[in-house]
Amino acid sequence: MDLTPIIPAIELTVGIVAVIVLDLLGRGRYPWLTTGVALLALAGAAVSACLQPAASVDGGAETVLGVLQLDRFAVVFTVFCCLTGFVTVLATVRGEAFKTPGGEFLVLILSAVLGMNVLAMSVDLVMLYLAFELVSIPGYVLVAMRRADARSNEAGVKYVLFGAVSSAIMLYGLSMVVGLASGTSLAALSEAIAAGHVTSQPLWIVACVMIFAGFAFKISAVPFHFWAPDVYAGAPASVAGFLAVASKAAGFLALIRVVGATTSGPVAAAADPLTAFLPDGGVLIGIIAIAAVLTMTVGNLAALRQGEIKRLLAWSSIAHAGYLLLLLATWSETSIAALLFYLVAYLFMNLAAFLIAGIVIRECGTGELSALRGMGRRNVGISVALAIVMFSLTGLPPFFGFAAKLQLFYAVFDRGYVWLGVIGLVNGVISLYYYARVLSYLWFHDAEEEPAPSLSLSLFDKVFCAVLVLPILGFGLFWADAWGWAQEVARDFPLIGGGR
Amino acid sequence: MLSLTALVFLPLVGMLVCWLLPSKHARVVNIVFSALVLLLSVALWAQMDVGAAGYQFEQTASWLPGIVSEEGIQYHVGLDGLGLSLVLLTAFVTLVSAIASWKIEKQAKGYHMMFLLLLTGMLGVFVALDLFLFYVFWEIMLLPMYFLIGIWGGPRRQYAAIKFFLYTLFGSVLLLAGVILVVLKTGSWSIPEITAQAQAALAAGEAGGILGSTGLCLAAFIGMFIGFAVKVPCFPFHTWLPDAHVEAPTPISMILAGVLLKMGGYGLIRIAYPFFPQAAVDSGLVISILSTIAIVYGAFVAMAQTDFKRMIAYSSVSHMGFVTLGLAAGTAWGINGAMYMMLAHGTISAMLFMIVGVIYDRAHHREIAKFGGLAWVMPKYFILASIAFFASLGLPGGSGFIAEITTFVGAFNGPHRIWAIISLLGVVLTAAYYLRTLAKVFLLDTPEVYKDAAKFPDLSAREYAILVPLALVTIYMGIVPATAMDMVKGFVEGTLVPMLGQAAGGAGQ
Repeated sequence: MDLTPIIPAIELTVGIVAVIVLDLLGRGRYPWLTTGVALLALAGAAVSACLQPAASVDGGAETVLGVLQLDRFAVVFTVFCCLTGFVTVLATVRGEAFKTPGGEFLVLILSAVLGMNVLAMSVDLVMLYLAFELVSIPGYVLVAMRRADARSNEAGVKYVLFGAVSSAIMLYGLSMVVGLASGTSLAALSEAIAAGHVTSQPLWIVACVMIFAGFAFKISAVPFHFWAPDVYAGAPASVAGFLAVASKAAGFLALIRVVGATTSGPVAAAADPLTAFLPDGGVLIGIIAIAAVLTMTVGNLAALRQGEIKRLLAWSSIAHAGYLLLLLATWSETSIAALLFYLVAYLFMNLAAFLIAGIVIRECGTGELSALRGMGRRNVGISVALAIVMFSLTGLPPFFGFAAKLQLFYAVFDRGYVWLGVIGLVNGVISLYYYARVLSYLWFHDAEEEPAPSLSLSLFDKVFCAVLVLPILGFGLFWADAWGWAQEVARDFPLIGGGR
Repeated sequence: MLSLTALVFLPLVGMLVCWLLPSKHARVVNIVFSALVLLLSVALWAQMDVGAAGYQFEQTASWLPGIVSEEGIQYHVGLDGLGLSLVLLTAFVTLVSAIASWKIEKQAKGYHMMFLLLLTGMLGVFVALDLFLFYVFWEIMLLPMYFLIGIWGGPRRQYAAIKFFLYTLFGSVLLLAGVILVVLKTGSWSIPEITAQAQAALAAGEAGGILGSTGLCLAAFIGMFIGFAVKVPCFPFHTWLPDAHVEAPTPISMILAGVLLKMGGYGLIRIAYPFFPQAAVDSGLVISILSTIAIVYGAFVAMAQTDFKRMIAYSSVSHMGFVTLGLAAGTAWGINGAMYMMLAHGTISAMLFMIVGVIYDRAHHREIAKFGGLAWVMPKYFILASIAFFASLGLPGGSGFIAEITTFVGAFNGPHRIWAIISLLGVVLTAAYYLRTLAKVFLLDTPEVYKDAAKFPDLSAREYAILVPLALVTIYMGIVPATAMDMVKGFVEGTLVPMLGQAAGGAGQ
């Protein structure tokens, strides 16, 4: 058996064990050592995922124990999650929660990343579910880590309750699918669907709804989004960023695998783009299309009224999940590439946004938007960075968010579902209101109005912000190569099931 | 050095210089770079064969290959007479606005940097020949404008800034939807190439146009039309304008009215109409009706205003109605007139906003009813104000007259004659509110306050430097219309009118 595909997972596991041992031996007196080991494990996993021999990536057919398979998609997601973990650890070092993260924090982040790595490779429903839980459980604890903070505890309880219920629903749905497909692998499911005796059953519709409910929780899609604002607001900003980016990406990845197994090819292009309503691609696609529209609209409308930055970003991340779901609803090679491309843009934008939110909360002691008043004059650099992030999240050129949205809506229009695209675009306008409102606090208030203290930023803070914001500018102007790469990865992705 | 790229990115260099120098020099840098832009655009004008068909000074570079098509998105700029006329207008109005910005003291460095960024965006829109590049410039402009209104504006600036931003972005996304549809079906981002495809489709008698479906064409046209109409602004998308224009600081109001409103008309003439000639002809009646409403309703609302600046803002709504009225007619006179209206209104409205700014600086209020007899204390100011007022209400000798008469003749000879006739009512109303305001503010009974020559000094040298050039251009355009008319003719009569004629002929058969 060839174990090369799971080298990143092994590295992460070794990292987890090493952090635990070092933390115990050193009695927590050497935080820089444990942090260093954790960062090393994350970087190592990302590098060795990239260095996978081409044969084991392109071959595709070879699986580990029949449940894990490393294709290029899995490589990309592994790197994606390691990067997010890396940034989260670094952001927490300087974040508002704990000046020096304890060993348990590092272990939890590493475990979650390990879960995502395994999830990325899963081609089996049972494995998929286990990996999903491995991502979720550290998340519950991470949210509640600030033991002295009542809001943090409340958020943790909320998260675990919602999570447990939706996991149960999903598991029930998966059990039906396993019954229908008479096998647990995605390949078996794909074959059974191709044979045609699955989708005709009423049970299939029930199963689809249930599975989607589980995923919807993870990606915070309406109507399973209620946990997100409370959880993000209660969690440290860096952890909220981790949940918003990595956890959501993991949910999308798993959803891509399952949707891929249940569709027999790209969604057919609409015959008449002006009257086409629901995409023609089966029950799951139909559910996703409706959820997409609801998610982005509800997310954006609710964000309009938020006065706290993490809550605002939580609703904004719900809205972005809606945009991403549009791409699953118009399932095709182009839309998979666009989804990948959008996720990368989303990664930079949200990590930067939560990083800046964390810095503001650390310095001001509150995340209320009114605390930002007048910041634009005192801390020009970080304010400009925040402005870039906000404009990019809105989807304005020349920032990465615009390039991502252009490709996204191109893919949607390409399938001919004009109304889905137009609703998505108009949602972008709604979102402008709350993103721009953040900026109006930075600049539009006169100096006389209650001058707030200046933020004291270390060089580390500034460089860190710059490193996350520069790609937003760079890819905003020159994204042809990045898009070409996303297309290449998408081309390798088997549109039909895990088996092909 | 004489290239469009240099022209467009020169202000960005200025922005960098502004950033590096101390704040007190920012205003000088702004004026120097705005002047350089004007010089460069005049030099381009001197080198250009204005009447020739097609684009000159074209520059193409690979930018984002592989997006949609093989060659993908290109950095493609070029200039023809139509673009040149608006580039000159932009450079000119921006320079006088830069001079008008002299007294901005609050965060001067930020202001002048935003100002220069805005200039790059505006110039870029008028020279971009690639749809993506066009859209990027179109949107880039919004960012500095949002801050310029929001930070340096009047008491209600926050509301005005976000309203402006939301309205224009709403238009922009519909425009983007149209752009994506066009690019998807034609496989090209190049504006001239898509225009050529539209011409070919017309020549071949394909009803579906470039999108291969009449319905889709109409939908895309409506999307693009709304996108541009918000900027024009057309009734009923005009409600952002009074707030933005009133709350913006004087120089920014001048740019908003003088240049930004022209981008909408430019977009219609360069993109929406040539891409979808059939849909444009089919929606001619609706657009004529909306234009007439804008002209008459705008004039009525302007008449009802008590705030000087607000009145002028509404007069813009009324005047820009002529632009869409001329376009909807689809005749050479109509579209030439629409273009001429944009150029004329560019200088006249900039002048009007400056005139309001001058008196606001001295009196610290803008209530028309509270003014009186200013002609006696500020006679030179009165003369320049009268020039602007009379030019705006369309008195022969000013550029507004040429614009209105050309547009009207064009619209009268077009298919929607009745609406052209109704729109004449607007001209009468415009004369009414301008003359009434002129009489009230400058001539009738003088309250005691306005007799104090120390508090109301006549125009300063700086104000002269702003108002006199604007007045001269306005009068010149009123007496020698051929200069500007020849610039716009090439594209209008060479490309657009034949296309619309063909489309209208096809519908008649």
